[in-house]
Amino acid sequence: MNERASILLVDDEERVLRSLEMLFRGRFRVFTTTDGHEAVDIARRDRIHVVVSDQRMPTITGVEVLRKVREVSPNTMRLLLTGYSDLQAIVDSVNDGEIFRYLSKPWSAKEIMNTVTQAAQIAVSLEQGVAGDAGGAPGGVLVIDEDPTVVEMVKAICGKEREVRSSADLDEAFALLAAHDIAVVVCDIRLRGRDISAAVKALKETKPMVMTIVQTQLQDVETLRSLINHGHIYRFLPKPARRGLLEMSLEAASRRHQSMKAAPQLANRYQVEKNESAPVAALSTKLLGYLDRMRQGKSA
Amino acid sequence: MDAPGISPHLLVSEVADMFMDETHGKLLSLPVLDDGRPVGVISRARMQQVLFRQYGRELFGKKPVTEIMNAAPVVIESDTALNEASKTVTERLKFPVTEDFIITEGGRYVGMGAVMHLLNAMEAQLAKQTQDLAAAYKELKASQLQLIQSEKMASLGQMVAGVAHEINTPLGYVKNNIEMLEMQSEGARELIAACLGLADTLTSPSATEADLQARLDTLQALRGTADVAEPADLIKLFADTRFGVDQISELVMNLKDFSRLDRAAADDVDLNECLDSAVLLSRNVLKSRVEVVRQYGALPRISCMPSQLNQVFLNMLTNAAQAIEGPGRILLKTEAEEGWLKVTVQDTGKGIPADVLPRIFDPFFTTKPVGQGTGLGLSISYQIVQQHGGDIRVTSQPGKGTRFTVRLPLAATQPAAPEAA
Repeated sequence: MNERASILLVDDEERVLRSLEMLFRGRFRVFTTTDGHEAVDIARRDRIHVVVSDQRMPTITGVEVLRKVREVSPNTMRLLLTGYSDLQAIVDSVNDGEIFRYLSKPWSAKEIMNTVTQAAQIAVSLEQGVAGDAGGAPGGVLVIDEDPTVVEMVKAICGKEREVRSSADLDEAFALLAAHDIAVVVCDIRLRGRDISAAVKALKETKPMVMTIVQTQLQDVETLRSLINHGHIYRFLPKPARRGLLEMSLEAASRRHQSMKAAPQLANRYQVEKNESAPVAALSTKLLGYLDRMRQGKSA
Repeated sequence: MDAPGISPHLLVSEVADMFMDETHGKLLSLPVLDDGRPVGVISRARMQQVLFRQYGRELFGKKPVTEIMNAAPVVIESDTALNEASKTVTERLKFPVTEDFIITEGGRYVGMGAVMHLLNAMEAQLAKQTQDLAAAYKELKASQLQLIQSEKMASLGQMVAGVAHEINTPLGYVKNNIEMLEMQSEGARELIAACLGLADTLTSPSATEADLQARLDTLQALRGTADVAEPADLIKLFADTRFGVDQISELVMNLKDFSRLDRAAADDVDLNECLDSAVLLSRNVLKSRVEVVRQYGALPRISCMPSQLNQVFLNMLTNAAQAIEGPGRILLKTEAEEGWLKVTVQDTGKGIPADVLPRIFDPFFTTKPVGQGTGLGLSISYQIVQQHGGDIRVTSQPGKGTRFTVRLPLAATQPAAPEAA
């Protein structure tokens, strides 16, 4: 980066702002404000690469700030930094704020520096690309869910325009993913009684352009936080599935996939945090084979 | 009670002999049975009445017993409930002291029942009922204590979640500041070492000009690269860090006061301090949305259970904050008057409708959405204040706000110690 990237910090506690500003000012142009509404104005006025917002503020929530920033400056990478894990806030931050990372207070100086630096690099690369529609046939949809009503619902929504494949078997699902042009994956994080969130995360690591819509009954703050940071899920929807919600999410995911095909650097936005706990070890060897092949396919 | 049934054909004199027989000495009456089914009852008293007449035995002795028996005896089926049986007996038995009633099973005679038996059975049943009632009462009391406990846990849980946020914020910048200082300390140590080296060279008699130049170059180079905060920034950094740590300590101290259910009554409690503590812990719901105005009077210290009263005040503050949509104001007023301490919590919230107002102290009554209130907060607050010998009054104007007034007696009313903590 020749020119320093700009970051905007939003928190109602000015000591947080002072502390973070001191941390970042050596590397970035830093804007700070205690007022979420002002933050939106700053993002509208100045070119902001990364915004980091607190969630609980007196006159506006962080999710609201990020949603508005997204409207006025769609290329700005959005991060939520919060000390209180309110499930609804996290769900909203995925669905409305389309956030890049969910950070918790207290944070680690090194980690936040790495995350913000990475976000800034992505934002700079986004500036060089032009978003658009790649045209051509829309990619297919893959449903990984044992519930036949979900498969039926997705088929009904997609009609004849988009091909819908489904599987309730992880190995088979990944084989389908490797063999076909898949734009959107609709899945639960539990499949036949097993937790498959590791696979959901691995999916994004290998195929960043595939948009993941997670539909689940599970409402766990920690799981969701990890799905955002490691799996970069595109939408998080409750079960039982609601058609209207799913339809809107599928449309948005398909559009996003198309524009990424047109400008592949957009996929950078969905870079995931490297999974240090190595949950990949929990995946089957067969699955690892597919992952390897997909990785090679990507680099070739 | 076993009593031989007598045939309707038996003569009065034969029945009289049966009554005189010692084996039947305790029987007040004998059943008259036709093929096992009761058709009447003849009592000792009736028999005496007949025979004591002049020529009674001569006149009636040869007549069948059916002529003098009570042909409408009280018959009770053996499976009749005790209270129903006693009702029938008291209503229908004409001579309860002299006559018994007949017990049947499927209409067939099985024995005689005396009123005394019934009384004994009733008494036993009453004793059992009393025992059951006592057990139920004990259970109720235990579950009430449990309810108080779970309401406390629920409000604590809500509070802890909020306080976690309150603590994580200062913790966030304190940790960040320390980590930054740590990162910078390496550069600072190198700079100090270079300075000391320069000083050593300057004061060393054997140092050459080249040595000095080398030292100076090192120092200059370090000065250019070392990432060390400006003194003004450092001062701020330390001040912020100290402030954050103080804030965390304060929150933790207040939490500690709250969570200790077993704390004994203290006799030097300043209610103004209790209120301040409650305000601090509810800061999360108040945020800067709700302005808290304090009009504290000079209060004498009182004897009370501070942790319980804290719970009352926290509950009222939380309710007040939740009643206020958007910005608003909570007035906290304390005053001492004529043997009482008065604490008023007045909000500018949406108020309580008149039809709801009488029910707000009822256990489990809540207007909050599921998961947001147990419906026990005010009912427990009421109990706590009552145990302290005080009362809670409420007035509300829908659309304008609500005022809760807690009155506590100045005279040391020792609150009843909780039976379980």
